Amino acid sequence: MTNAIQISGLKKSYGNHTVLKGLNFNVKKGEIFALLGVNGAGKTTALECIEGLRKYDNGNVTINGKMGIQLQSSSLPAHIKPMEAVKLFAKWNKTQIDYSMLEALGINELKKQYAELSTGQKRRLHLALSLINNPDIVFLDEPTAGLDVEGRISLHDQIRKLRAHGKTIILASHDMAEVEALCDRIAILNDGNIVFCGTASALTDRISKRYAIHIKTEHGNEIFETDKIVDMLLTLLEDLKQKNVEVLDIKVDRGTLEQHFIEIARRTEE
Amino acid sequence: MSAFLYGVSLQWKLDIRSKSLLVTCYIVPLIFFALMGGIFTSITPEMKHTLIQSMVVMGVSMGAFIGLPPSLIETYGSDIKKVYKANGVPLYLGLVSMFISAFVHLMIMCVIIFLIAPIAFDATLPTNIPLFFAALAIYIAVSLSIGSILGLVVKNQAKLTMIAQLIFLPSIMLSGIMFPINLLPKALEVIGKIFPASWGYQLILNNGFQFKNLWYLLLVIFVALMLCGLLLKRQKSN
Repeated sequence: MTNAIQISGLKKSYGNHTVLKGLNFNVKKGEIFALLGVNGAGKTTALECIEGLRKYDNGNVTINGKMGIQLQSSSLPAHIKPMEAVKLFAKWNKTQIDYSMLEALGINELKKQYAELSTGQKRRLHLALSLINNPDIVFLDEPTAGLDVEGRISLHDQIRKLRAHGKTIILASHDMAEVEALCDRIAILNDGNIVFCGTASALTDRISKRYAIHIKTEHGNEIFETDKIVDMLLTLLEDLKQKNVEVLDIKVDRGTLEQHFIEIARRTEE
Repeated sequence: MSAFLYGVSLQWKLDIRSKSLLVTCYIVPLIFFALMGGIFTSITPEMKHTLIQSMVVMGVSMGAFIGLPPSLIETYGSDIKKVYKANGVPLYLGLVSMFISAFVHLMIMCVIIFLIAPIAFDATLPTNIPLFFAALAIYIAVSLSIGSILGLVVKNQAKLTMIAQLIFLPSIMLSGIMFPINLLPKALEVIGKIFPASWGYQLILNNGFQFKNLWYLLLVIFVALMLCGLLLKRQKSN
């Protein structure tokens, strides 16, 4: 499979602060690729450098195809209506409007002015605008930020459909569950470096065994971290039963993204 | 060309939907005209010979210095600029389309004053109507070019309100539209000459369309448009 995007040695600083310390990764044609990182990790800077919206200090960026870009913080004039924006962007891109795409995203039915649209409707509109020129590569920066569950599911479906139509998608996100569900490959950006780049299953293998068990009893809250969830849970519950302690609540999570990053970074250094 | 024309016509529609433009380009100048037209012609009846000219200069100055810049900040001081840049819409579109749209709105406002003033206040029509509108068009363009610089340079609305007033108020008070400029102290008369309103007013008056009243306006618009070009270039490279 050929590469849609090739990045090598990408560096970017703002004054004395180095945001990108030499990124190297490729995005294959037709895949959904995620750039994952906590807020402030440099995802947006990296994407904007690749998109050509921001100058970078060093490195090489090769793009093989036409780009469509949905920015993290997007806006349009307050009084513009969605279809007016679509027509404006289509005319400047000298392209025919793809009404089936607009219908799939529900843009046709949006009659209100931009300022009156909900966050989800605005996201869908900006996604539609990024697809106006029928791009080969679609950049989505935090596409589901601010959306409710229904909106996220709907947008995930749209993103999968784009891949089914042969588009390459590169998305930035800080939501581990989202990228695991959507993406073929993931790059984790931490402190200006790529600390992991591989398939979602490789990432899962690497981090999924880190569980945090939160147990709330009459004596208070306790957190137990483990790689072996079943064994640990059974042991804990048996122990509590023997001590006749009443369990008020149990919650199991896989730790925060930050915890995983630290772990991944630590293992990478080792 | 089709894309450009669509952009301009769309901006025209957006301006009509925007209440702020309606206020600064129509409501306030026309209310001012309705009040001051009565006051001026009652206190000094001979002002009916210059009422149309003074009221259009006031209305244009208000629309250009106070009405246009906020719309520009909405585009160039926000993420709209990035969305345009990312999706193949040229950055100059916002500025040019807003300039043209505001030009048309201000011209309509002036035509309303031109038509109503003789009926409402017995104002005298300009002796040479084509030259009056030619001079008016030049003054509108000059004022909008200054308004454009304000909208591209100032980054927030609060600062803009203050800076726009610093240009608008002296333009009105020192240009001769409220009272004869020769009644002002010499220093204020000189300061008044810095602002295009006094030149625009002289140009619009009967027999005023002469090079001695025109050259300064041409210089201002030339410098202002060059500056707008540079500011847009800087926006593009940011």
